[in-house]
Amino acid sequence: MAISLAESLQMGVADIATRKVRSAVTVLGIVLGVMCIMVVLAILAGMNQSTMEWMTERGGLSKVEIGFNWQYDFRQGGEAKFSLSELRTLKSLIPEAKAFNPSISAWDAKTRYRDQYYNSQCIGVYPDMQIVENWYPEKGRFINEIDIRENSNVIVIGSKVAEHFFGTRDPLGQSIMLNDQMLRVIGVMEEKYWENPGGGGMWGKNALDYMNHRNFIPLSTMVNKVSPGSKIDQVEIIAHSPEDALALQKKLGPIVLQLKDGKKVFRVSSAQEDMVQMQKNAKMFSAVFIMIAAISLLVGGIVIMNIMLASIKERTREIGVRLAIGARRLDIFMQFMVQTVLITALGGVFGIILGYAILDLVSGYLEMAMVANIRMIFTALLVSVGIGMIFGIAPAIKAGNLDPVVALREE
Amino acid sequence: MEIIRTKSLVKDYNLGKVKVRALDGIDLTIEAGEFVAIMGPSGSGKSTLMHIIGCLDRPSSGEYHLDGDAVSELPKSALAGIRNNKIGFVFQSFNLLPHLSILKNVELPLMYAGVSSRARKRKAEEILAEVGLSDRLRHKPNELSGGQRQRVAIARAIVNSPSILLADEPTGNLDTQAGGDILEIFNDLHQKGNTVIMVTHDPVVAARADRIIRIRDGMIDYGDLAG
Repeated sequence: MAISLAESLQMGVADIATRKVRSAVTVLGIVLGVMCIMVVLAILAGMNQSTMEWMTERGGLSKVEIGFNWQYDFRQGGEAKFSLSELRTLKSLIPEAKAFNPSISAWDAKTRYRDQYYNSQCIGVYPDMQIVENWYPEKGRFINEIDIRENSNVIVIGSKVAEHFFGTRDPLGQSIMLNDQMLRVIGVMEEKYWENPGGGGMWGKNALDYMNHRNFIPLSTMVNKVSPGSKIDQVEIIAHSPEDALALQKKLGPIVLQLKDGKKVFRVSSAQEDMVQMQKNAKMFSAVFIMIAAISLLVGGIVIMNIMLASIKERTREIGVRLAIGARRLDIFMQFMVQTVLITALGGVFGIILGYAILDLVSGYLEMAMVANIRMIFTALLVSVGIGMIFGIAPAIKAGNLDPVVALREE
Repeated sequence: MEIIRTKSLVKDYNLGKVKVRALDGIDLTIEAGEFVAIMGPSGSGKSTLMHIIGCLDRPSSGEYHLDGDAVSELPKSALAGIRNNKIGFVFQSFNLLPHLSILKNVELPLMYAGVSSRARKRKAEEILAEVGLSDRLRHKPNELSGGQRQRVAIARAIVNSPSILLADEPTGNLDTQAGGDILEIFNDLHQKGNTVIMVTHDPVVAARADRIIRIRDGMIDYGDLAG
């Protein structure tokens, strides 16, 4: 019958208390390693969280985009431009899509109300813009199929635009000039708001404020009347699920290529694919840091092993005495095992505390979201206890195997 | 009743290629309640005999019975238990654990015996009172005189009520006065019926025992006859 674990723990605490400085030095590597793990995991979790939030806000993972291919050499001919009839064909070929929204921006368009001008972005869109951006009018209505078919002179304005032109008055039914076209306000979009997790810095608190300066008109009105000759070079499509989005992306590639006579003027991308890529990058990043942490833990473990071995050498006589008065080998083994694990666990706790302190400091400074959770604390603690167990075994075995006669002779 | 009986006890050491015979056929019987001194020049094998009697080591051959147990038949792992409940050690250099209080030092054998912390504290306090150290319970060993330290060591040795008390030069590090006190304690323990076995160089110290066993070249000189 060996002594109880509680007894060993008590003995371990007493041992550590008598050798405070040595214990502190012993465990430094573990403290740093655990701290490193904590910080990296928290940064990664924070990055993941804000990326996910951002993606969700911008149409989610079911989004597929057709856009200008920056890698294409346009000297080989072709133009990154869809005609309205090409778009109709494209749309009819992907009936499984939940939403289909080609758009075109007129950057040079100045909106005017009576004698006031306001520089705001005007975008020609399909009604599906609402589904794509998950964004709806707060007042009035949005552009519909009839407006598209009829090239209607209607406009849906952003909340900031409404505020600028009309203040507290009702904008609905008012007329706004865009280039030489007079457009009737049929709706006002709800305000877009997404708080930047880092406080936003130069962009202000609302990361999506720029969207509140946008106006929308029917795509056909834009191409045929407001800005003739401008190019439709972007289509956003929403699938029913992220998996469907990947399938849709695969299907769209050849279709678009065929529409443009085999010229790779457009690129088809999906949020899901971007996300996967981003997660891959994050994984690489974390793998590198976890490696560094692992190396520092390994070094820390070796340091602990050596200090424990030295400590056992120094305490050989004590071990001899304990053996003489009836300690079993298992008792001695446990005494040193428990002591090592206690030291590393204590190091783990300090590492976690230090990690938290650093996260607190750095997240304020970098304006970066960092998320620490119970699982990380648990992981860090488990790792430090594991290190203690792995590197404590050899010294503990050595102590347990000492011959009492030899040990007692030690000076 | 005999408490120790050895038959043809032999102990060989392998020092590299050379084989050294430390004990060469020891036949020895000690009765319960005896006070025995083992004497012999250094290198005679008395320490080795002491280690084997104390179950710190095993003989190469021969038999050793302690309190009815055939100890020489037992594996090394079983010896710890024997040391714990049947043997109390007193060393020349006291061998107290410097970081522990006097009380904790005396509690140690009880801890390894699995006695609850409350019970062993009470028992240790009791024993320390017997050796006159009740007022020093919280002191560390280095705060005590040599004589006091040896009394703590004796308290630790007898706290488990062992069958034999083994003392290795118990007065070797003490002045005459303190040494005399320690021998007085051994005498008291002997009077109370304890078996005391003491290894010593000093004939004056050995004279306090009932019987002297002399060891020379790993063999008993004439102690058994003189007893």
